Amino acid sequence: MTKKFDLTIISAESKVFEGEVESVLVPGMIGDFLVLSDHAPCISSIRPGFLEYSEGISHKQRYFVSGGIIEVINNVVSILVDSAIAGDKNVKEDITALISEINDKLSNEDYTNKDDLGLRKNDLEEALKQT
Amino acid sequence: MPSLKDLKIRIDSVKSTRKITKAMQMVAAAKLRKAQESAERGRPYAEKMREIVSNLASSVKNIAVDNKFLRDGSNSQKFLLIVATAERGLCGGFNSSIVKLAKARIAELTSQNKEIKVLTIGKKGREQLNREFESLFIGHVDLSTEKNITIDTARKISTDIIARFERGEYEVAEIFYNKFESVISQIPTSHRLLPVSLNEKETDAENISFNFEPEEDEILTEIIPKSIATSIFSVLQENAASEQGSRMAAMDNATRNAGEMIDKLTIDFNRSRQAAITNELIEIISGAEAL
Repeated sequence: MTKKFDLTIISAESKVFEGEVESVLVPGMIGDFLVLSDHAPCISSIRPGFLEYSEGISHKQRYFVSGGIIEVINNVVSILVDSAIAGDKNVKEDITALISEINDKLSNEDYTNKDDLGLRKNDLEEALKQT
Repeated sequence: MPSLKDLKIRIDSVKSTRKITKAMQMVAAAKLRKAQESAERGRPYAEKMREIVSNLASSVKNIAVDNKFLRDGSNSQKFLLIVATAERGLCGGFNSSIVKLAKARIAELTSQNKEIKVLTIGKKGREQLNREFESLFIGHVDLSTEKNITIDTARKISTDIIARFERGEYEVAEIFYNKFESVISQIPTSHRLLPVSLNEKETDAENISFNFEPEEDEILTEIIPKSIATSIFSVLQENAASEQGSRMAAMDNATRNAGEMIDKLTIDFNRSRQAAITNELIEIISGAEAL
């Protein structure tokens, strides 16, 4: 049996998940990565995409997250997400809404962080393909 | 001496006032519970966020990154005071105590010849500050349309104040609000939002060397706006709970006062009625004696 570790997923308004898991797949800012037990301590930011943890071979759960941050210390993994939507619900609409929100901002000339938004939009479109 | 009818009208009006204050007290009690629950739910996120930021900060300290959000700001000239109050009155000293604290700070900074700007959240604080400091206002956040405070509201506020920070409109931001201690005690508090103070409590994780992805500096630029939004969110939640607590206490007081007043007026009413009866009796008796 694979060794388990503690995972907490928290959003600003509530706790999304807390429990022991075998692995968690995280959409990191530079690329997706998998955290197993005894992972080296790390802090990374998360891009919009799908997060998946597994409590056992048959117990997998997918969430769409719109960004956040992950911290791993001594087999305690904490993920702070901006928002999380359970993957078995239909998330297409939510993602489309986020994309159109970004489009609005891009068309607004006052907005300075256009590069960041462009990247976010790419991530979201990527996520949309995965649904 | 008011007539019996006048007294009766007064008693009735005080009674209906008591009904209103009683109802407001019960509504505030229900809302307080809700506000406390949502503050409770938001707490783990805020705590973890603080922990991550202080972990990050302590590892950044060693490599001396010059991040604009982290400068110590001791020689700053431009200050932004964010005054968070309520949208409604009738909640005791809730709004005035925050405004009083903010005014004291404005006076202190003015005497040091600093440049001050004020951003208000909530109508009541703005009304009270309007008379003296209208020229300092740079913005206002209206919460009257928000039934419950959401993280989105806090994010909007933080995006705004960070944009102003980046444009160099101010160097230090402080926020004023009421900290919720208990139903009967709310403490007017202020703390610094920006720049983020580094020397917070040292965690046990200090000796762990983290891998960062992307680099520390980039993560900081990404995470600090989030942590500011989170602080604003918890400030708004504390404030909401304090407002309801304060209103509950004030309305409880008002209900009790109304009760006492009704007792007093009822005694007056009974006395005057008895006096009128006695008077009539004396008149009848002396009339009969005269015959």
